[in-house]
Amino acid sequence: MGHRRNSYCDGQTRRRTLQIGASSLLGGLTLPSILEMQANAAAPGPIRAKACIFLMLEGGPSHIDMWDLKPEAPSEIRGTFHPISTNVPGTQIGNIMPRCAQIADRFTIMRSHSHKDNAHQTGRHWVLTGYPPSFADGQAKGMPFNELYPSVGSIVSRELGQRGAVPPYVEMPNPLGPGGPGFYGARYAPFTIDTDPVQPDFEVRDLNIAEGVDESRLSLRRRLLEGADKEGPGANVTGRAKTMSSYYEKAFELATSPEARKAFRIQDEPESMRQRYGMSSIGQCSLLARRLVEAGCRFIGIDHGSWDTHVDNFTSHEKALCPPTDQALSALITDLDERGLLDETLVVMMGEMGRTPRINKDAGRDHWSQCQAVIFAGGGTRRGTVIGASDATASYPTTQPYGIQDLLRTVFHLMGIDASKVYDTPLGRPVPIVNGGSLINELIA
Amino acid sequence: MNSVRLIHLFSLCAISWSVACGDDAEFTISPATINLHAEEDSQQVLVTEIASRLDLTRSVRYEIAEPAIAAVTDNGRVNPVTSGSTTLRVINGERVQSIPVQIGNLASPRPVSFRYDVLPVLTKAGCNSGGCHGKAEGQNGFKLSIFGFDADADHDALVSEGRGRRVHLSAPDHSILLRKATAEMPHGGGARIVKDSVWYQRLRRWVAEGARDEPAPDSEVTAIKVFPSEVEMSPGKSQQLQVTAVTAGGDQRCVTVEAEYQSNAEDIATADRDGLITVSEIPGEAAILVRYMGHVGICRVTLPRSGNEFARPPEQNFVDTAVWDRLQKLGIPPSDRTDDAAFLRRVFLDVIGTLPTETECREFLADRSPARRDTLIRKLLNRPEYADYHALRWADILRVDKSIVTPQGAVAMTRWLKTQLRKNAPYDRMVHNLITSQGNTLTESPNAFFQVHKDPGMLGRSVSQVFLGVRIGCAECHHHPFERWSQKDYYAFAGFFTGVGRKGAPSGGQKIFPQPGKDLSHPRTGESVAPAGLGAPAPDLSEEYDRRNKLADWMVSKENPWFARMIVNRLWAHYFGRGLVEPIDDLRATNPATNEPLMNALASHLIKHDFDIRELTFAMLSSRTYQLSARTLPENRSDSQNYSHAAWRPLPAEVLLDANCQATGVAEQFNGWPEGYRAIQVWDNRMPSYFFKVFGRPQRVSVCECERGNEPSISQALHLMNSPESVRRIRHRDGVCAQLAASDDEPEKIIERIYLRTLSRFPAARESQLMRQAFEQSRTRRQAVEDIMWALLNTREFVFNH
Repeated sequence: MGHRRNSYCDGQTRRRTLQIGASSLLGGLTLPSILEMQANAAAPGPIRAKACIFLMLEGGPSHIDMWDLKPEAPSEIRGTFHPISTNVPGTQIGNIMPRCAQIADRFTIMRSHSHKDNAHQTGRHWVLTGYPPSFADGQAKGMPFNELYPSVGSIVSRELGQRGAVPPYVEMPNPLGPGGPGFYGARYAPFTIDTDPVQPDFEVRDLNIAEGVDESRLSLRRRLLEGADKEGPGANVTGRAKTMSSYYEKAFELATSPEARKAFRIQDEPESMRQRYGMSSIGQCSLLARRLVEAGCRFIGIDHGSWDTHVDNFTSHEKALCPPTDQALSALITDLDERGLLDETLVVMMGEMGRTPRINKDAGRDHWSQCQAVIFAGGGTRRGTVIGASDATASYPTTQPYGIQDLLRTVFHLMGIDASKVYDTPLGRPVPIVNGGSLINELIA
Repeated sequence: MNSVRLIHLFSLCAISWSVACGDDAEFTISPATINLHAEEDSQQVLVTEIASRLDLTRSVRYEIAEPAIAAVTDNGRVNPVTSGSTTLRVINGERVQSIPVQIGNLASPRPVSFRYDVLPVLTKAGCNSGGCHGKAEGQNGFKLSIFGFDADADHDALVSEGRGRRVHLSAPDHSILLRKATAEMPHGGGARIVKDSVWYQRLRRWVAEGARDEPAPDSEVTAIKVFPSEVEMSPGKSQQLQVTAVTAGGDQRCVTVEAEYQSNAEDIATADRDGLITVSEIPGEAAILVRYMGHVGICRVTLPRSGNEFARPPEQNFVDTAVWDRLQKLGIPPSDRTDDAAFLRRVFLDVIGTLPTETECREFLADRSPARRDTLIRKLLNRPEYADYHALRWADILRVDKSIVTPQGAVAMTRWLKTQLRKNAPYDRMVHNLITSQGNTLTESPNAFFQVHKDPGMLGRSVSQVFLGVRIGCAECHHHPFERWSQKDYYAFAGFFTGVGRKGAPSGGQKIFPQPGKDLSHPRTGESVAPAGLGAPAPDLSEEYDRRNKLADWMVSKENPWFARMIVNRLWAHYFGRGLVEPIDDLRATNPATNEPLMNALASHLIKHDFDIRELTFAMLSSRTYQLSARTLPENRSDSQNYSHAAWRPLPAEVLLDANCQATGVAEQFNGWPEGYRAIQVWDNRMPSYFFKVFGRPQRVSVCECERGNEPSISQALHLMNSPESVRRIRHRDGVCAQLAASDDEPEKIIERIYLRTLSRFPAARESQLMRQAFEQSRTRRQAVEDIMWALLNTREFVFNH
């Protein structure tokens, strides 16, 4: 499904550019214009990020309370939290993110993300696919609900493929609503860990060999299966049947290779490391994500709820939401850094929207997609920076607003993926990986 | 004034062959004379060896007698330099032929027409493609209509918008249009046009002449001709195409460079942007689609396998005649007829979505009557599971979606579908009834179709795609890219559904009722469009209260060019794993069947038998073609489109789940459903089921059969191997494994029984021996049985139909 087209819009492959360059010598192009053409062709730069960990804060975290405080704003806007200094001179964040404040020199805050979709399902579709949904909010059916457009994880999976024994695209602890492959097909669907690594008895669905099947019995079973396939009519098949058997290989590998099984066995982490990330869902998911990155996974989507704080925004953020998130994010970034993995692992944390600057009657904040904060770390992004700024009430960006297409284009760029590549839907409609958008140059180190 | 006069009607070409090339001539040149009248025109020459009809265009040498007058490329494309006459010499080794070249008065060429000269260039350069400025929202503030279907808007966009900087009348080279297109200015799309190339010249001249969009009725393209329209090629060879546009004024002009090319089978043949076809090593057929200014043509490429005697197998019926003809032409031998066991399993899974039981296997495999296969097909077509299974498939593409039509509505429509299938309703009547249905959605009826499809546009799109295989949906917003359908055709077709009334019924459900409809208006012109079938005249609706009647009459008539072919193709794809046309619901002149005579024969058979689906199915299944083995021969291994061997097809999610349950004797417990239902009976398309999800059961969000996922994945393999559900079925205390282990049967017998239950065949001696290991090495008899069952349920042979 979705075969590759050979026409490009926003960019061309390097080889193609060189061809144009060569032929244009006859056509009378000057050298400067050739150089300019090469510069224009968005030839993917060096691969900065080999993997991406995407923390999706479902419901919409409050940017004005966490990352972009407005202490000068009236009380009905500024809320109860106050800014604290970080280890980056001049950068302040909310006092509910104290651990992150101590490592602010290792990540970048974007304060000018903005889009127009102010609802949960549709906003999540927009953020994770870069395409507007074709359904009204609350009308999405099924799981995943990105029926046409592929999610960022599926795109990464398709473009970069498998590296190591683990699947290239993993989601946890729940499937991300629009995390599916859309028209790319099941091949690029995430491997979903439908259980939460914070659970004491955590294990990955379908990964464990049935109880009572020990190594010798498993090897017998495998011998029987391989023998039966070899003796049967399917010995020399091609196409899907052959692919399926290669997946059996991979499944066996996943279920039996020490490397893959080890990656999922979070129980192997020393207790101190588990405590460092925090014994929370987001903490243990982040820790497992780090293990998966080490094992070669390309994209890990972490689903973390419920940030939709229409009521008691402040208590929720202070007591329930921010402490585990603060701990998890800071541990993830520093741990990756200490292991020398941060430079090749891109960490992104965002929600589908921000929250209204004006506090409502229930001490809550409502949906606000016009202005959000997004955290980036590693993978070729700058460290210790704030990019973009919002107005006095954190309502709108006062600098160049960055939309999701800019953001996704930049993520793909860092991963060495040509975001202009086009695949056709089964009905023949061309769908570029990212439709429009520009590179966010100030984000790139 | 006509500037380009090429005398190369193809009839004339043919004449020129006999005249210009006497007995001693080795090759022919098309056209016989070249006439060019503007400096940016060009003519592609075709050079063909007479005896072999091989294309020599790229292997001969070209010379222009007076290079001051015209130029020729190595590829045989002639461009004007200055006014005058000269000759083109074509040199093939010792042999030389010449044709006259006339270059008209270049000083006063016909003005460049925006719509007929400029837009095709923008289209070919990709400027207005769906990924670039042709997107609904344009690209970086510059929007063109997709593929240039809206010339007025495009002219506006170029000349009036962008603060008038896109074209610079007094300094054309400074126009942003040209500077961006050549990437002289930074351009996200890179360089699309080479500076000073022919296209550049044409755009430049258009700007210099005032960037006008003057009516030029004589220049309107009325048709294109593709030459050759059919060609037989051999591996490694190439074939140049020559594309000629015919205008309303009667001119013919070479548009080979401007036309666009696309292959429908890229593994067999591809065409580059200059119209050069190259072929792979895989024998078969491809159609090269040629598109120019909304007109389309094709060149059918046949790539036979060389050097094999073709032994024609016996024919069971007309299906085999057509398939053998095709294979003979291609030189691909068919595989052997498959054995009874493989046939049994295949036909059970295909017809009733169900594995044969152990008893059914034993009975059939012991049956020696010559007609046993035909008897079995007839028997299966009359089983209740046939209705269950095919109702499920129809409910998918008709989008029987519980979350829209309520559970009761979904049951009502599923039941109606089952009834149609059980009583073998003539297909034309069934569709006629569906198109014109009215009443409550909760009664046994197809009424829910009109609840799922909420407006005339949706109905028009779905009905044309499902029943006619015409993807008219493209034409809602723009001219169909590969077909002749315009927005007018779209709104004419959808206009039949404007009279469908819907209101809530007091007793629940929705009432669908007819009321007077009104014509839809064309979104660009605002004119109202009278309802009409595709490519058909508008019927008189004055006497019709329900205008759907006229549509249904037109659709199901025996003369309808798509109706019979569409169902033939859908069924063929179901039983053979690949449609005669692919994608299966995309029937176009430009997307021909891989075996047109077969398609025609099947469609005629259906019509002759009054749209009897069972008869048609019987004809397909009783053919030797259907009963060929899936084991390939070295000579037909690479064939995937001519049915020289059976295909390996993944079992649909529901069928696979049922097969697992039946083989292990442990029924699936569906969430909230009473016991005893099989997956193929589950009408609930939203039922949460991990199995359905990973195996790609469709959610019924589109009418495309392609929504059903058939791509394998690691999660599928893991699930079958390790999931608690799989483990439960194998270990169940009342399951087959437990029973076999507790029986008195010898290991030999147990192995045989598991083979019959899973793979529907007896094990070969080597297989039996292999499986005995389990009994020798497992701690208990029960474990041995479980291990054998586990292994066989995970074989390719089990998970696929073949």
